[in-house]
Amino acid sequence: MWKRILLAVGTSALVASVASAQGGITISGTVTNEAGAPLPGATVFIPSLNVGTQTNDRGQYSFVVSGNRAAGQTTQLTARVIGYSARSVPVTLTQGQSLSQSFVLASNPLRLGDVVVTGAGTTTTREKLGVTINTVDSSSIRRAATPENIVSALAAKAPGVEVRTQSGEPGASADIKIRGGASLSGTNQPLFVVDGIPIDNSTSSTTGGDGSTVSVNRAADINPADIESVDILKGSAAAAIYGARAANGVVLITTRRGHSGPTRYTYSSELRFDRIDRGNLQLQTDYAQGSNGNTAVCGGPDCALTSNSYGAKIAAGTPVYDHVGEIYHPGLTSDNVLTVSGGNDATTFYASGGLTAQNGVLVGPDNKYNRATVRLKADHQVSSKLRVGGNFSFYDTRGNYVQKGSNVSGVLLGALRTPPNFNNLPYLNQFGLQRPYRFPNPTDVPSMENAGYYDNPFFVLNSPGNRSEFNRTISSFDAAYDPSDWLAFKYTLGADQYADGRLEALPLTSAGNAPGQVFRSDATQLQIDHNLTATASHSFSDNFSTTLTLGQNLNSRRNRQISSTGTQLIAASPLALQNTVSQTSGESKSLAHISSYFAQATADFYNQLYLTAGIRNDGFSTFGASNRRNNFPKASIAWSFTNALGNTEQRGILSFGKLRAAYGETGKEPPVYGTITAFSTTSTFGSGYGDAINTLFGPAGLVSSLSLGNGNLRPERSREFEFGGDFGFFNQRADLSVTAYHKRTSDVIIQVPVSAAATGYTAQLENGAQLKNQGVELVFNVRPIQTANVAWEIGTQYAHNKGAVESLLGAQFIPYNNEGFTGAIGSSTLGFAPGVIRGSDFIRCGRGLQLDYDGTGVKDIDALCAATPGGYKPGALFLGANGQPIPDPTDRVIADPNPKYAMNFSSSLKLWNKLTLSGLLDVRKGGQVWDGTRGVLITKGVSAFTDVRGTTNGQFGKNFYTDIYPNVAGPGYNTVAFTTYAQWQTWFLNNGGGFGTVGQQFIEDGSFVKLRELSLTYTLDQAWVHNLVGFTSADIRFTGKNLHTWTKYKGLDPEANLGGSEFLTQGIDYFNSPQSRSFVVSISLNR
Amino acid sequence: MINSSKFRLLAALALISAAGCKGDFLTGGDLSNDPNRPGVASAQQLFTGVQSNLWALWGSDLARVTGMWAQQFQGIISQYATLEQYAHDETTTGGFQQGLYSGGGLIDLSNLDPLAVKANDKHMLGTSQILEGAIMGTGADLFGDLVYSQALTGKPNPVLDKQAAVYDSVQKILSAGITNLQSNTATDIGPGAYDLNYGGDPAAWTRAAHTLKARFYMHTAKTNANAYSLALQEVPLGLNDPAIDYKGVFQAVPQAETNFYFQFNGPAGRGGYMGDNPFLINLLVSRNDPRLNDYFDTAANYLSSTRNAPNYQQTFVSTTENLLIWAEAAFRTGDPATAIVKFQQYRALVGLSGNIPPAGPALLTEILTEEYINDFQLGEEAWNLYKRTCFPNLVPTVSTLKIPRRFYYDTGERQTNTNIPAAGSGINAAFNQDDPAAVNSDGGNGVCAGQ
Repeated sequence: MWKRILLAVGTSALVASVASAQGGITISGTVTNEAGAPLPGATVFIPSLNVGTQTNDRGQYSFVVSGNRAAGQTTQLTARVIGYSARSVPVTLTQGQSLSQSFVLASNPLRLGDVVVTGAGTTTTREKLGVTINTVDSSSIRRAATPENIVSALAAKAPGVEVRTQSGEPGASADIKIRGGASLSGTNQPLFVVDGIPIDNSTSSTTGGDGSTVSVNRAADINPADIESVDILKGSAAAAIYGARAANGVVLITTRRGHSGPTRYTYSSELRFDRIDRGNLQLQTDYAQGSNGNTAVCGGPDCALTSNSYGAKIAAGTPVYDHVGEIYHPGLTSDNVLTVSGGNDATTFYASGGLTAQNGVLVGPDNKYNRATVRLKADHQVSSKLRVGGNFSFYDTRGNYVQKGSNVSGVLLGALRTPPNFNNLPYLNQFGLQRPYRFPNPTDVPSMENAGYYDNPFFVLNSPGNRSEFNRTISSFDAAYDPSDWLAFKYTLGADQYADGRLEALPLTSAGNAPGQVFRSDATQLQIDHNLTATASHSFSDNFSTTLTLGQNLNSRRNRQISSTGTQLIAASPLALQNTVSQTSGESKSLAHISSYFAQATADFYNQLYLTAGIRNDGFSTFGASNRRNNFPKASIAWSFTNALGNTEQRGILSFGKLRAAYGETGKEPPVYGTITAFSTTSTFGSGYGDAINTLFGPAGLVSSLSLGNGNLRPERSREFEFGGDFGFFNQRADLSVTAYHKRTSDVIIQVPVSAAATGYTAQLENGAQLKNQGVELVFNVRPIQTANVAWEIGTQYAHNKGAVESLLGAQFIPYNNEGFTGAIGSSTLGFAPGVIRGSDFIRCGRGLQLDYDGTGVKDIDALCAATPGGYKPGALFLGANGQPIPDPTDRVIADPNPKYAMNFSSSLKLWNKLTLSGLLDVRKGGQVWDGTRGVLITKGVSAFTDVRGTTNGQFGKNFYTDIYPNVAGPGYNTVAFTTYAQWQTWFLNNGGGFGTVGQQFIEDGSFVKLRELSLTYTLDQAWVHNLVGFTSADIRFTGKNLHTWTKYKGLDPEANLGGSEFLTQGIDYFNSPQSRSFVVSISLNR
Repeated sequence: MINSSKFRLLAALALISAAGCKGDFLTGGDLSNDPNRPGVASAQQLFTGVQSNLWALWGSDLARVTGMWAQQFQGIISQYATLEQYAHDETTTGGFQQGLYSGGGLIDLSNLDPLAVKANDKHMLGTSQILEGAIMGTGADLFGDLVYSQALTGKPNPVLDKQAAVYDSVQKILSAGITNLQSNTATDIGPGAYDLNYGGDPAAWTRAAHTLKARFYMHTAKTNANAYSLALQEVPLGLNDPAIDYKGVFQAVPQAETNFYFQFNGPAGRGGYMGDNPFLINLLVSRNDPRLNDYFDTAANYLSSTRNAPNYQQTFVSTTENLLIWAEAAFRTGDPATAIVKFQQYRALVGLSGNIPPAGPALLTEILTEEYINDFQLGEEAWNLYKRTCFPNLVPTVSTLKIPRRFYYDTGERQTNTNIPAAGSGINAAFNQDDPAAVNSDGGNGVCAGQ
C-alpha cells in the first residue's frame, strides 16, 4: 500500500521535473572514495546556479539543468559528502548536451572543508575553526535507536557531553550537560537551536520531580529522523555569539532539506523491543511481613498491618513473588517515518511525517508515549540575489504515565516494599477496593482514609490518572539576500509555540488521598525570535581575506500556566475537576525580552592562519535596571601548520595539523522576576511532610515571600580559555583531536541564605558565587582498513572534567531542598562540583570530632579511637560500647555524582558496501549514587541485605558491612553488636536503614561500562529489490541498545536518575525505573 | 579598502538594527512587574497570614514530634520511627526557627505595625503584639536562646538573647499588647473579620494574652523563683470561658485550610507514621478517663475521628489551661485551698466527676497529671511540662539516651550567623542553657528517669 501512496504522491513532482528538462542538460555520474567504494548521500551541485542532487546508495547521481540556464558558460560542478574532501571540476553547460562526470573523493575524517554552523546565522569551514564544535550526523543519531528523544541519542557521541536518561519509561527526560555545570541554579541544560530558532527544552514534571511521573524534556519533540546534523558548541568561545543564554553551551540542530533533482522517497519503519535490566537489585524471599520474627496476621476487615517484613521465616512451599519482574513486561516501540524531498533548480522541498508509538515496559495500559510529527521545509530562489524559505513543523505528543519515585502512589515504592509472600494480584478486592499489602481487607473508602499504606503497584499501573496532551509548532521564515558579491544578508523570524495539558489524578482509594484528587494544568509557551545578520567579505589579496558580520537579535518568551486541584471525587470517574467536591486553582505567567547586537570579524592569512573575534551586546528584561546591557566578547585563532610546511595535500605521516586557541565569554540570565520582592498569596507554611497551610483563610491573608528580590541582578558570566589541536596521520588514516579548557564562572546567582533573624527573609538572589570547570577532551579514530570492499574504523573518545565551587558568597553550601531527601539532599558546596549530595555519616575516627554521643558529656572521638588496641585508621568507623556505629549529627558532603571521566569506544566495519557492523561501548568512571531505594528496602526488611537477621554474631569490622566499613575502632571495636533477630530489626529500622539519619551508608560507586549500541545494517540495492517493491534500495538494521552493563552498583541502574533533567543534582536513586535494554529491527526503503 | 557603496550599505544596516533598539522592548508591563504576586499587603491581610502561620507553629510538625517525645504519640514507621528514638539533627525542625522571623512571622508583623501606627489603630497594633509574644515565647520554648533584641535589624550576626531574656521580652510585648487593646477611640478598628479567631474582639484577645503570659511565666519556673506568683497575677484575667478559647479555625475544605493532623495522616500520605502511645492510653484507662474515646480511636491506633476531622478546630490556648495553671501556681505558692477550687472548676469543665481531689503532694501530682492529659495534641506544652517538672516520669525510648530538651537551630541560621552554635554537641541536645538539671520528678515518683 505504501508503494501506491508514494507513487501517487510522486507523480506530480516527476511530471514537473520532466517538464523542466526540455532543452536542458542532464549531468550524471558516480561518486566514490579512493578505495573505489560508492559514496551514497553525496551532494553534487553547481554552486553558481544553486542546482544539484544527492547520490543514491550506489553512489550514482543524475540531474537536469534547465535549458534557459545553460548558455554555454563554464562553471564549477562540486561533489561533497561528510567525511571526504569536497572536489570541484569545471564543466561547460551547452543546451541539449548530456554530461558525464564522476568524482573520486579523498577521505577527510577531520571534515576540514565542511561548512560548520557557528550560530546566529554565521558559518565557517571546519579548518578555520579556532574552537571545538562536535558534529553528530544523522546516521549515528539513527543508530542510537531512540526515536523518541534526540537528547538520549547524543549519549556517548561527543566528549565532554554527558547525557543521562532518567529511566526506561516512555516519556522519560534526558539530561545533557556539557563540560560540567556552569551554574548553581536551574539544571545546566544547553540552549537548543533548530534551524536558527531557539527552542524550549525545559523539563517540568506535573507535580514535582521527586514524585509525580516521568516528564519529557521538550527537545524530544523533534523527530530525530528529520535531523541532518547536530553541532554542539561546547565552550564559551564557540557559544559566545548567543551571549547570556549560552553558558552551558549550545546544541545547534539542522534539519534535512530537499535537493533539486528527482523526487526522493524514504520510508523507515522501526520496531524496538524494550526490557528492563534489574541490575544488582536483590530482594529477600525468606521472611514474611511482621515484627520481631512474628508474622503479621490480618484480623479481619479493615486490618492494618505493619509495613515491614520482619516476620517469621516463610514456610517451605509457600509461594513468593517476584515483585520486580511482575510489574515489568516487554515494551514495544514502533517508529514510522515517511519523507519526500526534491525540487528543481529554483525550488526545493522536504516533507516528512512521523509516528512514534511507545508502549512502555511497565505492565498495564497506562504506560505510553505517542508522538506524531509533520515537517515541511522549502526554499525558493526568487532571483539570483534573493532566496526565501519556510520551515514548518508540528508535533503532537500524548503520554500516559505511571506515578514514580518518592510518592505513596509510586509504582516501584509499593511494589518493592511488598513482603515476598504477599501476592499483589488481584489488586482489587470483592468491594472493588484496592488491596495494598498494609491494608489488605478494606471495606469502604472512609476506612482507608487514615489507614496508612502504599498503593498496590497494580492499582497504580491501572490508574488512567496521569496524562499529558501536548502540541507544538515551530515555524520560521528565512531569507538570504546577496545584493553584491561581497555582502550578504540573512534573516530568520521564527516562533516556537506549544500548549501542554496535564492531568495527574489520584483515583478513589489512592494512598495519597483516599477520597481522590484531580490535578489539571494547562500551560502555554511562546517564543518569537528575530535574527538579522549582514556579512561583508573582502579579499585584500590571495593571502589575506576578511569578513565582518553585524547582527541583531530580538527575542520574546512568554509562559502561562493555569492549574487546578480538585479534592474528593464525587463519583469514581471521570477524573475531572467537576467531579470533585472542592477545587483550588492557581495561575502563573511570565514574560521576558531580549534585545541584542553582535559583531564578528574574521581574517584569513595565507590559507593557514585564521583569526576570529566577536562581541555580543545583550539587553535582557531579566537583568536588573542598573545592569541592563552586558557584553560577551570572544576571540580565537587557528593555525593549520601543516599548510605552512607545504603539506596542503594532506598526505604523509603527519598529514594534517592544526593548533587552535580561543577565549570567550558567555552568560546565564537571572530568573524572571528575580529583581522583585513581593508577597505570597498561597503559602504561609509547609512542613517537610506535606502538611501545609495557605493564606487564603477568611478574607484572605498575605505573607512575605521567603526570598528577597535584588534589583541589581546581572547575568552570570563564564570566561573560558580553550586550546588544542587537530591532527591527521598516515594519509589521514588516523586522526586525533585534543582540547583542554578552563572555564571560570563568576557572578553566579545563588539564593544566598540570609539570616532570617536579621532580615525576615531566608534567602536573597545575589550575583557573586564562583565556580570553575576544567578538563580535557580527546577524540582518536583509526581506519586500519580502507579498501573497495572493506572499511573498518575504530575510535575512542575521552573526557575529564573537574568542577569546583569556589565561592558561595560566604556560605559553605546551598541545599537544593527539592532535590533529594532528608539525609541525602542535593547541594552545591564549596570545593566540590555543583550538585553534590549532603547528609550525615556515622561518627568516624580521624575527623577531630568532639561529641557527646551518649548523653554523658562531650568526648574526644579521636582519643577514644586511639585507645583502641592497634590504634585506628583515619576514617575508621567509630563503634559505641554496644558495638554499633553512632550517627554523627554533622551535615556534610556524602556523595559526588559527577563522574571522574567518561570514555567510549566505537567500531564500525563495512563490508562490500552492503553490510555494516558497528558498536559503541560507554564507560563512566566515578560518579556516586545515593541508593535510597536500598536504604528503604533495608528499613522495610525486604532487601536481601537484611538476610543477616538470622545470624547471632553480627559484628562490624568482622562479618557485617566489612565491604563498606573495613576498619573499625572505638570502645565497641571488638563487640558483637547483634545477637538476636530483634536487635537486627531495631538496627535496620533505625540507624541502619534508609529512614535513619545516616545517608552515607547508601552511597555507592556509580561507575559502569555499558554496551550502549551494537548494530548490524545491510543494504539491499539489487535490481530485484526495485522490481519487487518499487524502491531503489532498502536498508535493514538490527540494533541492540544497552545490551549489557558492567557495574558494582547494587541497585537497578547506576545511570537512572529520579529527577531527570529537572534536577541539577544527579545520582539520586529512589524507587525509579532503570533504563531499558532494547532490541531494534528497522527497515528503510529508499527511492 | 571598503568602497563608498559598501559603506553606505553597512550604514543602512546599522540604521535598521537601531530601529529595533527602543528601551521599552525591555521594560514595562509584565516585563518589569511580577504578574503573579502582589507587591503590597494591607495590615489586615498580614494579620491573617501571621495568625494562620501561628497555628502551624503550634499544630504541625513540632507539635507532633514533641508529642512523641512527651509520649502522647508514638512514632511507628519511617522518619517518625527514628524521631521516636530521639534521632534528630539540624534539619529536623524543617525551617521552623527561620519561620519565627520570615513570611508569616516577625517580618510581617514588622510590616504590619507601622501601618497600624499610621492608622492610629491601637487594637490592630495590640493584637499584632500579642501574636509576636506568642511566636517568640514558643520559639524560646523550642530553641532556648534566640535572636530577638536584634531581630530584623539587618545587622550581620545578630546576637542570641538568653532564653530568660527572650521570655522577659515576650512578657513585655504581651503587656504592651494588652495595654493597646484597652484603648477605645474611633480609629481602633482592629483586624475585624481578618481575625479568624476572635473577629477582632479586644476583650477576648486580652484574656488570651493574660493566659499566654501565665503560660510563659510557668515555663521559666526552674530559674525564676517568682514565676508562679507572676503567673498567679495573670490567670484571674485570663481565659474564663471555653467559648473564647484560642483555636485553629480549620475548615473541611480546601486541603490547605484543614487540620494539620488530618493533613498529615491523609492527603500528605503519612498515615501510619504516628500512632497512639500506650503510655497515655494506659494512663487514661487506669483513670477511667472519659476523654479516652474523645482523644483516640484505639482500634485504629490513632486519633479519634472527631479530632482527625479536617475541620476539627484544635484548641491552642484554653480556659482549662488557665485553670490548671491557676491551680498549680496556687499550690506551689502555698495556697492549696485556691488550688482545689480551681482544680474542681477545671474538672467540671472537662467532665470529670467523683472523688474530691487529695490534699498535700498528691494534689500536685493530680494537677500535673491533668495538665499532661489536657495538653494532648499540644505536644509542645506537654513537652514543656515534662522539661519543667519531669512529670510524668517518662522512661526514654532508648535506654542510653535522654529525652531531647531542645531543637537544634536551622542550618540556614547557623550558616548566616556566627553566633549560632553548631549542632555537634551530641545526639541529645544541651538542656536549656540556664536551667538546672532535674533530679527528681515533681510528681513525687522518684528520680527523674529521662533527664
